[in-house]
Amino acid sequence: MTAPGFTLEALDWDSWLETVDVDQATPEQIAVLEKSLPTAKTSPYYLLLVHDVAALGQRSPLFNAVMYGPRGLPRAERELATVAVSRINGCAYCASVHARRFAELTKQPEVMQRLLDEGVDTALDARRRAIVDFSAKLTRAPQRMTAADLAPLRQAGLSDLEILDLIHAASMFAWANRLMQTLGEPVRPAQK
Amino acid sequence: MTDVIDAVAGIAEGSPLAALRAQKPDLVRYTQGSHDVLLAPADPAGVTLAERALIALRIAVLDEHGELAAHYRARLRAVGGDEALVVAAQRGASAAPSPRLAAILGHVDRLTAAPGSATPAHLEALLGVGLGPRDIVTISQLISFVSYQVRLLAGLRLLAEEARA
Repeated sequence: MTAPGFTLEALDWDSWLETVDVDQATPEQIAVLEKSLPTAKTSPYYLLLVHDVAALGQRSPLFNAVMYGPRGLPRAERELATVAVSRINGCAYCASVHARRFAELTKQPEVMQRLLDEGVDTALDARRRAIVDFSAKLTRAPQRMTAADLAPLRQAGLSDLEILDLIHAASMFAWANRLMQTLGEPVRPAQK
Repeated sequence: MTDVIDAVAGIAEGSPLAALRAQKPDLVRYTQGSHDVLLAPADPAGVTLAERALIALRIAVLDEHGELAAHYRARLRAVGGDEALVVAAQRGASAAPSPRLAAILGHVDRLTAAPGSATPAHLEALLGVGLGPRDIVTISQLISFVSYQVRLLAGLRLLAEEARA
């Protein structure tokens, strides 16, 4: 069976390493899992990461603040940035999760379907184009960026706080993609 | 404790960028917290403090972030890393003083440049030099965190440059 490509359908993720048995987990591990995600105690990804409970204990609240924290960049645009980064890095699992979140928030699954099918250069409106281009540059060549790379975001009306959120969302997926892509792999749910 | 992002990016107390970051205190707090638990954990378990600093330094070198490299080079020396480790961070796996560090640095380079190229065999290689699942998770979190940190610093640099223009 070939690995799943980019899709809006829900995927599962299998760990390449032994995960923590939730029945053997320490109270600290259980507490960190519970504050990470409602379903973390049955997720192979979280049950793997909780091996290093201190690291996950900082990362989960950071991830949640980046993606869901109040004020700043609208949530759908944070999702857009993370899908663009995941599309470039090749993380089909991350792209599927966050493309669906974008589609739920905007009711525009067709935008995500095109981004997944055609890549980050697919046609987008000006504000989304600016967000995707910025995320792409930050993913590929952060040191080669200059203040001129902010100009399209400013023309599209993004405030300082919105840009701060965008920087965090795109950067967070340099992190998330690397974990997902190098500790396991996406699988179609039907395979299980 | 000094905020590493502020220190490396040169964000002064009371500056507009400091005020902007302060509007999102959870982002500041847990970014610093992630740095601290990965570089200076209460329980380093199977990955030494020097190995952690070496890994972080290698990514800063690969991603060409001079100030961040200076930060992690200082950290590596502070936790007892000798000149051989500083050289290994500069040159990569081929200059590593042990098979264990060669395997770790090879993994660092792969995750930094081409995360999509990883396979289960790469993790087998890490298990083969005596690292356990927990250690591999720690190393993966550390590599991924510094990849995040490099980009966060780049984005903040743009805002600072824009404000000066």
